[in-house]
Amino acid sequence: MDAGNVMKPNDLFSINIFGLSIPVSDSIVMMWIVMAVLIILSLIFVRNLKTIPVGKQNAVELVVDTINNIIKGSIGHHWKSFAPYFGTILLFLVFANISGLFSLLPTAEELYKLTGNEFFENLPQFAIAAPTKDLNITLGMALMSVVLVLFAGIRFKGVKGWLHGFLEPSPVMVPFHILDYGTRTLSLSLRLFGNMLAGYIIVEMLYEATIFIKPILPLASFFFDVFDAILQAYIFVFLSTIYIKEAIE
Amino acid sequence: MGNGLVAIGIGLVMLAALGAGIGLANAVSKTAESVSRNPEASGKILSTTLIFATMSEVTAIFAFVIAVMLVSKV
Repeated sequence: MDAGNVMKPNDLFSINIFGLSIPVSDSIVMMWIVMAVLIILSLIFVRNLKTIPVGKQNAVELVVDTINNIIKGSIGHHWKSFAPYFGTILLFLVFANISGLFSLLPTAEELYKLTGNEFFENLPQFAIAAPTKDLNITLGMALMSVVLVLFAGIRFKGVKGWLHGFLEPSPVMVPFHILDYGTRTLSLSLRLFGNMLAGYIIVEMLYEATIFIKPILPLASFFFDVFDAILQAYIFVFLSTIYIKEAIE
Repeated sequence: MGNGLVAIGIGLVMLAALGAGIGLANAVSKTAESVSRNPEASGKILSTTLIFATMSEVTAIFAFVIAVMLVSKV
């Protein structure tokens, strides 16, 4: 593992639209895979729903109910407008972070070195890892949350009330309220990204370690890719809902 | 010479983990205290502590991100 280049996106190919060339990195492809899994799961589980739940519908209702309770607990009165968005974000982040469990699968380059088979040499260098270990993706999620906070404030309090909110305790606080939008984006994105990157680096380092410390590898992998992954997804959604509550009340 | 100084800087950056560690230790000791004082509220106390522990952890995370950025300069 190259620690210096771990933050650089690895561009696989680029899409050309209207003369613009958009590079697609492997974390974006990984994100598409997670999205496809979520879409397929939702198509499977949402088919023929009934008023009295049977079988798999019980599990889905449990998940939706848990998400609704989390959102209701932190936003309060207007929770219904935000529950679908935050439920999607929470499910996506949980699946995206847990997909880091597969980061120890060998890449095409490693397979070529191991087997010497010509077939693996020409495959693209696609490394399986959690998409959230790329700052671009977490920054996108954080920007979505902060823009939602901005528009929810205007929508629920009106332009006048929203502008008045900047003067809240005293007019001295105006620059800090404006600064808040930047620092919230930064802390939301860097928290998720830093945690996932730290987990990825530690697991990869343990993978290359000597045989004596290798037995703790599954433990570390489980901690960083399951426990910490779910916790960070929950923290992201929880902090976003706290910001929303602050903006609309 | 320059590379060595960058490496020393990376080590110094990670001193921020010291502060995060002390903060987390404070939070966890208070959690244990309040759970033993009021065992019925342990679920609520645990979730609140997890939230604020992650918030105090973020200083160490920032330091870690800066350290990883500096590693490419060595």
